[in-house]
Amino acid sequence: MADSKSNAYGTNTSDTSFRKTWDKAEYTEKARAREAQEREEGKARYEAKLQGKKYYKSSDTTTAKQTESRANRLNVAANVGKTMLVPAGVAAVGKRGRGAGFYCADCDLTFKDNIQLVDHLNSKQHLTNVGESGEVGRATLEEVRARLEYLKQKREEDRKELNLVDLQERIKRREDEEETKREEKRRKRREKRRKTEGGVGHNVEEDEESGIIC
Amino acid sequence: MAHQADARRMLDDRGYTGQTIHDTNPAHLLEKAVRDRIIDSYYWKEQCFGINEATLCDRAVDMTFIGGTYGQQKPTPFLCLMLKLLQLLPPREIVLEYLHQREFKYLTALAAFYVRLTFSSVDVYKTLEPLLEDYRKLRRRTKDGGYALVYLDQFVDDLLTKERVCGTSLRKLPARQVLEDLDQLEERVSPLSEELEGLDDSDDNERNGTTNGHDEESDSG
Repeated sequence: MADSKSNAYGTNTSDTSFRKTWDKAEYTEKARAREAQEREEGKARYEAKLQGKKYYKSSDTTTAKQTESRANRLNVAANVGKTMLVPAGVAAVGKRGRGAGFYCADCDLTFKDNIQLVDHLNSKQHLTNVGESGEVGRATLEEVRARLEYLKQKREEDRKELNLVDLQERIKRREDEEETKREEKRRKRREKRRKTEGGVGHNVEEDEESGIIC
Repeated sequence: MAHQADARRMLDDRGYTGQTIHDTNPAHLLEKAVRDRIIDSYYWKEQCFGINEATLCDRAVDMTFIGGTYGQQKPTPFLCLMLKLLQLLPPREIVLEYLHQREFKYLTALAAFYVRLTFSSVDVYKTLEPLLEDYRKLRRRTKDGGYALVYLDQFVDDLLTKERVCGTSLRKLPARQVLEDLDQLEERVSPLSEELEGLDDSDDNERNGTTNGHDEESDSG
């Protein structure tokens, strides 16, 4: 008779070895840490109550990075003309979750208009969720000078581009641009194909221009 | 040291504790009605959030006109950036850098306005008067939404002489003559003085020339 620990293939196993095994030590440690934290928080809440104050959980500000200015304008028109599938039922209840409108992935909230969205993006709630402190570093005179110098150069380059009147040159530049764009698309498609099993790719090719997001 | 990304602390009416300009909250240098419009405006929320002295230049470069409020009391980016400057309160050398760079005229105009609002009277005269020789063109948004052409020297002259500029009532500036009498300012020499004198001379000569004939006649007569 075969050993109970080995199966037909001779591998050493029991009949419940397919179950996930739990690292008990790790989870005990986790539980202990959580309980300690809860106890601490409960104590703080109790003490605050004794003093007649409301307890606020303090967020970790030590790792928060400084807030910076937006590099671009908010692209609120990005989804215009596109068709989106929205989960039924969920969309109607408040802002929570993904619905029809502007979606903030960091906070899992959906907003109906751009004013609400930008108000949210400026809010403390959002900044905390993305790990920003809501503080902006001061710039020194040197930084201001460097910035102005950079902007000056940028403007000159833009002007050069604008003042280009040679038609052949412009056509050539345009063709180059389109070629790089196409190359980028091709690269993305190849990457996607590599990700899918067996490299067969999607049956339905997602066309970016069709405006349908699945 | 860092700024707050939003202006909540500055706009707190219950008690402002930050740096003051002319003994008041710097935000109060703009009128309450205009201030409220600015804070509600999309430009303020989107473009003026989280900028500092250096990134403010990006926004200032994109400005295409100056002015107060237009249309349905919509504040111009010029005013929004002014409120932001009043929040940031950049050190003097940075303001002067804004003012004296030669590339971006709207940034110069913005800095000139800021100087008029925050600097002391003597400083206002000293820093702004050199700009009276700057003849660059500016577009000004009028109240009804149209555009008007002004020149930088004209704008600076308005700042020095008028009471209301760009939807803001300016602090009273003592007359130049008063400050000169107190020996706080040197007498200003107009860059046109030579031409004016020349003009006067030629006028005198002309008048003498034309009247001379009559004089001679009357003398002889």
